[in-house]
Amino acid sequence: MNVIQVEHIRKRFGNKDALADVSFSIPKGEIFGFLGPSGSGKTTLIKILTAQLHPTSGQARVLDQPAEMMHHSVQKMRFGILTDNSGLYERLTIEENLELYRQLYALPKSSISKVLQFVNLSEERNKRVNLLSKGMRQRVMLACAIIHEPELLFLDEPTSALDPVNSAHIYKGLRYLHEKGTTIFLTTHDMAEAELLCNRVAILYQGQIQTIGSPKELKRQHRENVVCVDLINGEAYELPIDEGTADRIADWMKRGLIDRLATKEPSLGDIFIKMTGSELL
Amino acid sequence: MSISLKRVRAIFVKDYKEFSRNYAVSIILIFPIIFALLLRGTDPSLTGVFGLVLNSSFVILTTFAQACLIAEEKERNTLRSLMMTPATTMDVLIGKSTLVFAMSAVVLAIATYIFGYEPVNIWVFVAVIILSIILYTAAGTICGLFSKTLLEASLSIIPVAIVFTGAPGGALLVKDFPIFKVLEYVPSSQLVNLLNIRNIGYTTGDLLKPLLVTLAWTIVFIIVAVVLYQRRLKDE
Repeated sequence: MNVIQVEHIRKRFGNKDALADVSFSIPKGEIFGFLGPSGSGKTTLIKILTAQLHPTSGQARVLDQPAEMMHHSVQKMRFGILTDNSGLYERLTIEENLELYRQLYALPKSSISKVLQFVNLSEERNKRVNLLSKGMRQRVMLACAIIHEPELLFLDEPTSALDPVNSAHIYKGLRYLHEKGTTIFLTTHDMAEAELLCNRVAILYQGQIQTIGSPKELKRQHRENVVCVDLINGEAYELPIDEGTADRIADWMKRGLIDRLATKEPSLGDIFIKMTGSELL
Repeated sequence: MSISLKRVRAIFVKDYKEFSRNYAVSIILIFPIIFALLLRGTDPSLTGVFGLVLNSSFVILTTFAQACLIAEEKERNTLRSLMMTPATTMDVLIGKSTLVFAMSAVVLAIATYIFGYEPVNIWVFVAVIILSIILYTAAGTICGLFSKTLLEASLSIIPVAIVFTGAPGGALLVKDFPIFKVLEYVPSSQLVNLLNIRNIGYTTGDLLKPLLVTLAWTIVFIIVAVVLYQRRLKDE
């Protein structure tokens, strides 16, 4: 069953297409990464999928309903969202912020302790938000977005500008949610993050999906047809995969000369550059 | 459109906690009381003075506080976060207006007591005051929704202050400027007209006119606030 189904979505601002004929689907339980540089249309798509923006044309279905129905309370109970536009009440403590969300989602009191444990902020629960570091605030915002254990979670660059420790906390949380069956729609321009978390990724550039697939698949598709061989004497070779190379490698192996043998796989960043000619910044 | 009292209460409690820790805004609660204390010695027949106390309090306390509450939510992106929760438009608007309504009602009741004003008909007076608080709260919501920052919100109430607080004064110039006749239909002028009614020689119509005019303004402002809020739910 597809949790998100996007068909030929186009969004035009003035005379510029932010999204041009975007189609894809996300099955239940998947972590789907939407990759692209700033301004490529990632946030626009999240806004369309959460009924904050109307598409110029095309249609999208989210959680079995047309995307424009996502502003209804019943649908809002089913998804969580963390974007640049998320905010916290500065004069309230972490717990008071979460208490508001708990009541808005009509959850039991235990949900606060549970989610605080989940984002590793149990000890800081009585700290005022205006005293928190950026990483902690991001974790509190994530806690607000997932306190109701949504079926679908939209995350718009959740770890941008976070240090590795805070990012690791968030990754841990997302993996846990994934294990519980939450479908996660993640936009990022961090290729390592996408590779680490996502079951599938789509690369968006100039409003169009350039390629889509699992990181493994994409790497295989864009793999160069060469094999890298490092010999123990320090020599290194990049050889085409053919019969001659096979014989040569077999010979080196017999003589115990091979230090490292690997296929040459591109990173997701390499694939992006290859497909768009642009750096991911 | 559904309303959940639990959600309304949650937003009210959150606003109360935030407001009580925001000394820069919460200090405005004392202004109407100070006005009443300063002006209570004036001739009781000068009901226009009490009208000025009430009308300026509506703007300084009710509209300003509401505009600040809404604009601060916008500035810090919490309003958008709230919009993404199951809280409906009415949950958010009622929840966010309840605190300002309650504060205004209590503070104006104290100010009225201090000033010593005794209305000819307590029920009509209370009804007009309640409608006015709702009206000025809606005006504050509109100002807050139009503003991107707290500073903008502070400036956005100036037109409200000029038009609404100044209307009773402007209506006095109707002989020289006939176009100012329209100012007689501004709720603040109607409130002053109601306060001016003496114990003898008034008709039911004299009492009902301010009530109905204020009610009409209140309905219009509520509709504008709701429509504007719903437009703010979207980015286009």
